[in-house]
Amino acid sequence: MWSETLLASTVDGLLIGVVYGLAALGLTLIFGVMNVVNLAHGPTMTLGMFGIYLSATKLGLHPFAGLVLVAAGGLLLGVGIYVVAVKRVIDAPHLASLLATFSVNLMIVGVATAIFSTSFRNLSHDLGVLRAGPIAVPGTRVAAALLAVAVAAALQVFLTRTRLGKYVRAVAANRAAAELVGIPSARVLALSFGIGTMLAATAGGLIALSLPFTVLSGGVYELKSFVIVVLGGLGNPLGALVGGVVLGLIEGIVPVFARATWVPVLEYGLFVLILLVRPSGLLGGGR
Amino acid sequence: MTTTTTTAAAPAAPAATAAVLEAHEVETGYGGVQILWGISIVLAPGTLTALVGANGGGKTTLLRAIVGQLPLWRGAVTFDGADLGRLPPHGRAARGLVLVPEGRQLFATMTVAENLELGATPRRARAAARRNRERVLELFPRLGERLRQRAGSLSGGEQQMLAVARGIMADPRLLIVDELSMGLAPLLAASLFAAMRRLRDGGLSILLVEQNVQLALAVSDAAIVMESGRVARSGSAADLAGDDGVRKSYLGV
Repeated sequence: MWSETLLASTVDGLLIGVVYGLAALGLTLIFGVMNVVNLAHGPTMTLGMFGIYLSATKLGLHPFAGLVLVAAGGLLLGVGIYVVAVKRVIDAPHLASLLATFSVNLMIVGVATAIFSTSFRNLSHDLGVLRAGPIAVPGTRVAAALLAVAVAAALQVFLTRTRLGKYVRAVAANRAAAELVGIPSARVLALSFGIGTMLAATAGGLIALSLPFTVLSGGVYELKSFVIVVLGGLGNPLGALVGGVVLGLIEGIVPVFARATWVPVLEYGLFVLILLVRPSGLLGGGR
Repeated sequence: MTTTTTTAAAPAAPAATAAVLEAHEVETGYGGVQILWGISIVLAPGTLTALVGANGGGKTTLLRAIVGQLPLWRGAVTFDGADLGRLPPHGRAARGLVLVPEGRQLFATMTVAENLELGATPRRARAAARRNRERVLELFPRLGERLRQRAGSLSGGEQQMLAVARGIMADPRLLIVDELSMGLAPLLAASLFAAMRRLRDGGLSILLVEQNVQLALAVSDAAIVMESGRVARSGSAADLAGDDGVRKSYLGV
């Protein structure tokens, strides 16, 4: 019995971990390309949650159709945030971009609280239960994890196979040199911030498929994303996915052995430990 | 010191041949510190021009002003007869004004093939990508053997070849190379200079910034000597190589 619980928890942690990884991918992409730590990451995830919730409850859309809206909205929002708040501080010291994105964070949370209050919402989309031997997992969790993997794979194809994706990598590698070969770096930066925000919003939407949330939930997941990118190596996309899975597994497995309140203690303990002994992350920082 | 402000780098160029690049009374600097004091140069098409002078003389600053990385305080830069105004670097590259920057500045995490592909970003370069690719692989066969390798893993000489090759992929009308031979073994430097020569023979206009004055004057058609942010001398490379002042200051003879 005990080993079955462990197995089920492991699968559960793995599934949610992939979604965490997708969110962290957004954070790490923006950092990798423009060296900006996006403190508006969490509220963007919140907007993704509310986006999918509202498109289901108000527009009557199927959640997966709502997800497409959330992704498109996230891209536009990200480009908007870049043009309004980030562009002017892109070459300034880190503190300026931290403050700029933190202001966006506060504005989104403030407006969203005024509109939606901070009470819990629940989409509880039901796709039945998948069974494999002793394990039973909710279908929405499986769907969310598969979608997260699909989006991450699509990003990889975009970055390595398309001309525009190569522009993104070139600007990440050397912005001045990219300009010199004719790449319009200002537009590529705006697009990259848009994509990073889109990933965060999409991950928020996927989380909202199976977990209750409030206006403030994004903040919690933002912290998880920070732990994940440090775990995997800041700016390293693969590291973000691996880090997400590690965090998901901790959340899944620890409650089997100890009280669930130990989960954050372990997560942030690991965060500090990585910073102390291997600050470049498990897989090393990358671009 | 002479404060000549208008100088023809290629005095023999007939008046009918329009300059490929012209800087007129250019002044600029960093923050409040002025580096360039009324620089005027004219580059004739199809020539290999060397820009030489002591460190801190403003050579790299002039290049940055020409490609639009540094705004002008005064003066103007015209390329192919058109004033470049405040056109950003990527817009200048699109017109064929291409800089191979000091220190190579490759996309180190990307492959050699990707670096070449990204060189051909401007529309006109994309149209000529196949021909230019053949041209650079013929010029630097070693790059052909390393297409799948990450640019950052190449040797210093190969990196410099790739930097030049990436610049040629942009289908330049004027190729500017900053510090071609820096940090390279003499034999390697000589082969890169020979490559510059072959490119010029193919009709390309080239501006070469170089520490190694002797080598630069030996391969170039024209030369410009910069001192303290001003053009100190200019003329044919052969004349300058034979000039006593230049020999004393830069060739150590």
